[in-house]
Amino acid sequence: MAGVKGMNEVILTVRRRTQLTAIAWLRWRLFVNTLRTTRGQLELLSRILVSLAFAILGLGGAFGMGVLAYVVLSQGKPQMLAVFLWIILLFWQAFPIMAAAFASSPDSSDLLRFPLSYGSYFLVRLAYGAFDPASAIGGLWSFGILVGVSIAKPALLPWALLVLMAFAAFNLLLMQMIFAWVERWLAQRRTREIMGVLFVLLMLSFQLIGPLTGHFGKRARPEVQRFVEVLAPAQGILPPGLAADAIVHGIYPQWPVALSSLALLFAFVMVIGYGLHVRLLAQYRGENLSEAVAASALAKDRQLRLGWNLPGFAAPVATVLEKEIRYLLRSGPMLLTLIMPIFMLLVFRFGAMNSARHSAGFLTRTPNLAFPVAAAYTLLMLTNLAYNSFGGDAGGIQFFYASPVSFREIVLAKNLTHAGILTVETLVAWIAVASLYGRPALDITTATLAGLLFAAPVNFAVGNLLSIYSPKKLDYSKFGRQRASQMTVLVSLALQFVVVGVGVSAFWMARYFGNSWIATLLLLVLAGISLSIYGIILNRVDRLALERRETLVAELSRT
Amino acid sequence: MGTAPNISTQGLTRRFGDFTAVDGIDLRVSRGQFFGFLGPNGAGKSTTIKMLTGLLAPTSGRIEILGLDLTAHPIEVKRQIGVVPEGMALFGRLTGSEFLNFAGRMYGLDRETAAKRTAELLDFMQLADQPKKLVTDYSHGMQKKLAMAAAVIHGPKVLFLDEPFEGVDAIAAGTLKAMLQGMIARGATIFLTSHVLEIVERLCSHVAIIHQGRLVAHGSLEELRAGVEGQTPTGSGDGSGDGTIPSGEKMTLEQIFLHTVGGSRRTDQELSWLG
Repeated sequence: MAGVKGMNEVILTVRRRTQLTAIAWLRWRLFVNTLRTTRGQLELLSRILVSLAFAILGLGGAFGMGVLAYVVLSQGKPQMLAVFLWIILLFWQAFPIMAAAFASSPDSSDLLRFPLSYGSYFLVRLAYGAFDPASAIGGLWSFGILVGVSIAKPALLPWALLVLMAFAAFNLLLMQMIFAWVERWLAQRRTREIMGVLFVLLMLSFQLIGPLTGHFGKRARPEVQRFVEVLAPAQGILPPGLAADAIVHGIYPQWPVALSSLALLFAFVMVIGYGLHVRLLAQYRGENLSEAVAASALAKDRQLRLGWNLPGFAAPVATVLEKEIRYLLRSGPMLLTLIMPIFMLLVFRFGAMNSARHSAGFLTRTPNLAFPVAAAYTLLMLTNLAYNSFGGDAGGIQFFYASPVSFREIVLAKNLTHAGILTVETLVAWIAVASLYGRPALDITTATLAGLLFAAPVNFAVGNLLSIYSPKKLDYSKFGRQRASQMTVLVSLALQFVVVGVGVSAFWMARYFGNSWIATLLLLVLAGISLSIYGIILNRVDRLALERRETLVAELSRT
Repeated sequence: MGTAPNISTQGLTRRFGDFTAVDGIDLRVSRGQFFGFLGPNGAGKSTTIKMLTGLLAPTSGRIEILGLDLTAHPIEVKRQIGVVPEGMALFGRLTGSEFLNFAGRMYGLDRETAAKRTAELLDFMQLADQPKKLVTDYSHGMQKKLAMAAAVIHGPKVLFLDEPFEGVDAIAAGTLKAMLQGMIARGATIFLTSHVLEIVERLCSHVAIIHQGRLVAHGSLEELRAGVEGQTPTGSGDGSGDGTIPSGEKMTLEQIFLHTVGGSRRTDQELSWLG
């Protein structure tokens, strides 16, 4: 009986090893196969560059952490280690969320169709996490601290190693637990959108922390100080504080305290590990995350709904415009992108109120530039849509090709949508500037509008070409990792450089001649040229779209 | 019939690099025909239907739909045809009603007619009970029905369907079949690809079989049957594996298909390790 049991264990071990090897091979082949296309090769190039940046961040940070750990220990301030460990924890947890930006994990749950044991599944998920850049960098920084501590106190090496390994395990498990739960919420479109909006609002609120603390800091300093005084001991019962405490008490040495801190740290590891286990076990058992069934129709929903009419334009133009607006209104991420300029005006304004930060007062010192800057930023944000205008249509592109409507009309409708958004946003920006910085002067307002008349058609024309030549499928309900193709990014940069250069030159000439209306005149002349270019390209869109139909359909219809 | 065909191709060819997916196909589909286009996986069915509907450019050859050259008059042709392509071509972030309204207007219907037909089609397809649901949240079968509704909203004279019954439940499939047969009765032409040979046999009056990019059979079911029976000996088996026809029985489309493309069922001697 024991022999059979032993044999079974051997078979299980061999099977697990085979499965893990197969998964590693799968990842490798997925990577190699991406190199077959030019896009994949460009991605590899960008990955190499990003990896170099990560390597510098990891090694540089490790060196810095090591030196700092050595210094604080040498100067008899080992409690300061907690600060470094908090930095590591915050980076380890925040970086993957920002980098992954709510893109779902590629294939971990797909593996569940295979006869994978729960243990193997758990291991695979941990392995995915261990190879994450945040883990690599966080691990390197922790190693830096270990080296610094060991040089300052060589006898402490084994103890510090144990403590820092527990700390690293905590971080790894916590990161995986957060991702596993986030994945759960992202599995459904509605919760995914809510999460996305909350995430962006969180990221935006970070932008306000600096200006707001600067602004209120002077007045509320005693309260802030009291808050910090309360916070300092409280952090001691959390993992970074516990890890630091364990090392500090290993120095003196006060082993009972050191051991209890390490035990508490292990308790955190266990609790977080359990949280991860609960989620992964639910996944492993095959939970059902299908979309909830919508409520039955009400009688009033069943009445006929007429499509939109756009006076002066053909029915297909109005129809596509209606579709574009409906798409945008249902896309939280895209709407947030579009309100960013207004938000940035607020950030600059709050920043300006903080007199300690001279740089933040840029727009306050030159309020005349507030409206042009806001308008330019509005146009820049709009390029997200205009440079990949078929991206959100995905498989719907086939409908456009099958329908009896010319691409000229379809593209015109999309550009009209973009122009409409630009008009509304420019108006809102003007009102925001007037409220926050004072009403923009008439000559500045007209020059800015002339600048938009020049810049928008050029951007739309180039955007139309890029939409056809360099399309990329977009999911309007997802955040992040949906950036435009490399070609679009490069062309966009070059174009913005030229457009901003022309605009600045016009303003500079007006200033040189002491008459700000010169800028308006120059930009209106340029607007005429750019409108002509736009018209020429629009008239060629049909032919270009037909030539590129296979690429467009293949790229946008891919699942 | 004597009249000009509603769909005709001459030397239709499509190459992808060195690979020839469709090799000089000559097709003729007359008005009122329910035409089944069959072939094994990778034979060139979807490539052909994409070329016929303007989704893919032919490398060479000519396509005429309703007597119009597709390359020269794409808009006029597209106005009179309906398409359910392989990927269904839906706009996921519209509701079903919005999408049908959109489709109707893109095909030139006025606002009132588009809205009216949208309501009728949603009812007919049993999609009207969830008006606020986005297309992206529809099940595969519901998406298929919606794609079909969008393809017929303008009352096309020719309808191209790429695997229309894939993923559709039996009740919905029955509804769709009734709708398609109604269209045929009113003079429309339907060009359909499907892997489900029983459906093709029941619905289609004419069939073409494509194999490795070439057309290997083309005609009415009776013509195809007569052609195959003339070449095949009768035998005692079921006709699916031994290359013979069961004596006294009419050949099924599956037998014709297997005979034509040279496929035969594998024996149970192979893969003997399977449970």
